[in-house]
Amino acid sequence: MKQVKTITSVFLIGLLGIFLLVNKASAELTIRANHDHITIDFFYHGSTVSVSGVSDPGTDVIVKISASDGHESLRQKGKVGGVLWMNVGSLNFEDTPKLYLLAGTKNIADLLDRDETDKYVIGYQALSRHVKIDTPAPAEEKEKWFEQFIKFKESRKLYNVSPAGVSLTDKDGKQNYYIKMDWPYQAAPGNYTVTVYAVRDRKVVETASSNVIVEQVGVVKSLAGMAKNNAAAYGTISILAALAAGFGVGLIFRKGGGAH
Amino acid sequence: MYLYLPVALTSINILIPVGLGLAVGLLSGLFGVGGGFLMTPLLIMCGIPSTVAAATDSNQIVAASTSGTYAHWKVGNVDFKMGLYLLIGGFIGGLFGVQAIKILRATGNADFVIKMTYVLMLGIVGIYMFFESLASMNKKKTDEVKPQKESNVAKFLKSLPMQTHFEKSGVTHSALVPLVFGGFVGVLAAIMGVGGGFLMVPVMVYILRMPMHVVVGTSLFQILFNCIEVTFLQAYTNHNVDFILAVLLLLGSTIGAQVGTVFGRKLKGDQLKIILAVIVLIVTAKIVLELTLTPSLLLGQGGGH
Repeated sequence: MKQVKTITSVFLIGLLGIFLLVNKASAELTIRANHDHITIDFFYHGSTVSVSGVSDPGTDVIVKISASDGHESLRQKGKVGGVLWMNVGSLNFEDTPKLYLLAGTKNIADLLDRDETDKYVIGYQALSRHVKIDTPAPAEEKEKWFEQFIKFKESRKLYNVSPAGVSLTDKDGKQNYYIKMDWPYQAAPGNYTVTVYAVRDRKVVETASSNVIVEQVGVVKSLAGMAKNNAAAYGTISILAALAAGFGVGLIFRKGGGAH
Repeated sequence: MYLYLPVALTSINILIPVGLGLAVGLLSGLFGVGGGFLMTPLLIMCGIPSTVAAATDSNQIVAASTSGTYAHWKVGNVDFKMGLYLLIGGFIGGLFGVQAIKILRATGNADFVIKMTYVLMLGIVGIYMFFESLASMNKKKTDEVKPQKESNVAKFLKSLPMQTHFEKSGVTHSALVPLVFGGFVGVLAAIMGVGGGFLMVPVMVYILRMPMHVVVGTSLFQILFNCIEVTFLQAYTNHNVDFILAVLLLLGSTIGAQVGTVFGRKLKGDQLKIILAVIVLIVTAKIVLELTLTPSLLLGQGGGH
C-alpha cells in the first residue's frame, strides 16, 4: 500500500514537473531576425529585416531596433537680427542611439506605464527623458530642440515609431509575432540590437534580443578604408583619375567633333 | 539604378549625379566657372553630407576643367601667362583667407560673414554684369560713344611698374594687377569656400579687359590648378572626397564642358556675360530666400568646421 502511495506521489510530482516545464517553455520569448548580417556592396540601397518569434499567449509585443548610445553634435539654426536664418552654433546631444526603429502591436502609450517606458527607453517620450541636451536653455527650449532632433533623424529615416506594425497570429496554442521593417540605407556600418518586449498589464514581462551587423564589403570597403587609412594615395588617385577623364573626353570630342 | 557611396555613406540614383554633372559642366565650358556655387547645394539637397559635397565637387571640377581647358586651348583661348599670375595671387590670397576664416570661427561670426559675403558678392557682380552687358549690347547698335569713364582706372593701372604684355589676351598690364586681384579673389573664395570662378571671370573681363572667350579658357585653366590643390587637401586632411560620387559627376561634367565650349563659340561675348549674370542673380535670390524663409529643419549635420 505504501509502495503504491509512493509511486502515485512520484507520478504526481513528475506530472507537475512536466507541467511546469511545458508552461515555462510557452512563456519563453523567442526572437529571430532574418537578416542578422547586412552587407553593403556597390548596389546597396537599404534592406528589410523581418523579426519574428513566439510570445506568451495574451501578451502584446514591442520590437525595437537601436544602436548603442552615442554623442551627436548638430548645427543649430536660428534667427540673426530677427530676420535672417543661419547657423548660430552647435548643439550637443548625449546618449542618443544612431538608429531607433520602434513598432508594437498597439500604440506604445496604450501598452506601457511611464515607468516601464522609461526603464526600457521605449517611445520618443521616454527617449526625450533619456537623451541629454547640452544647453543652458530652459526646459521648454530643450523640449523644442528634442522635437527638432527627432524631425532631423526622421528626415534621414534613422528614427521611426510605428504604432501598430507588429502582427500576432495564434497557431497550435502558441502566439507568433511578426514584423517586416525597412532597414534604411542611411544607417552607417556597425552593430545594432533588435530587442523584443513581451507586455502584459502595462508591464514588460519578458525581453529577448538579437543582433544585426551592418558591414561594408568588397570595393565599397576597400575604398572607404583607403580614404581613411591611405589618404595621400587616395587623394592622388582621385586627382589622376579626374585628369585622365577630362583629357580622355577632350580627346574623344576632338576626334568626333573635328568639324566644329 | 542606385549606387552606394562609400565615403558619403549613402545610396544615390546614378542619374542624379550624372545629370547634375552634365548641367554644371555645360556652364563650366560656357562661362569658365567651376559651378561649385550650384553643385554643392544641389548635392546637399540629395542627402550628401555638406562636407563631402564640397570636397567631392572640387574633385569633379578637376575633370570638368581639364576637359574645358583642353577644348579652349585647342582653339587658342587660354592665356597661360595671365593664368599663372592669377594663380600665384590666388594661392597667396587663399592662405590669408583660410586664416581669416579661422579667426571668424573663433569669434563665432563665421556663418554670418560667409553668408553676407556670398549675397553681396554675387549680388554686386550679377547686377553689374547684367547692366554692363545690356548697355554694351545696346551701345554696339548705336555705335561706340564714351569710353572715357574707364580711362581713370586704366590710367592708374598703366602707371604701375612691371608692365608686361599678355599676347593671347592682347592686353598690357603691370604684373601686379593680376597678382593683386587674383589674391583678392583668393581671399574671398577661401572665406566663402568656393572656387571663385564667378568672381574671377568679372575681374578678368572688367579689370584686366580680356576678351570674353579668352577669359573663359584662362579661368578654367586657373580653376583646374586650384581644385587639384583643394581635392588633395580635402582627401588628405578631412577624408571627405567620395571617389564614386566624383566619378559619377565627372561622367556628366566632362561631356558637359565640351558641349559648353562648342555652344560658347556660337555666342557673342556680351551674350555670354548676360546669361552668366542672370544665373548669378538667380543663385543670389535663392540664397536670400533661404536666409529669410523659415527652414524645415532647425538642426543640420555638423561638419568638421
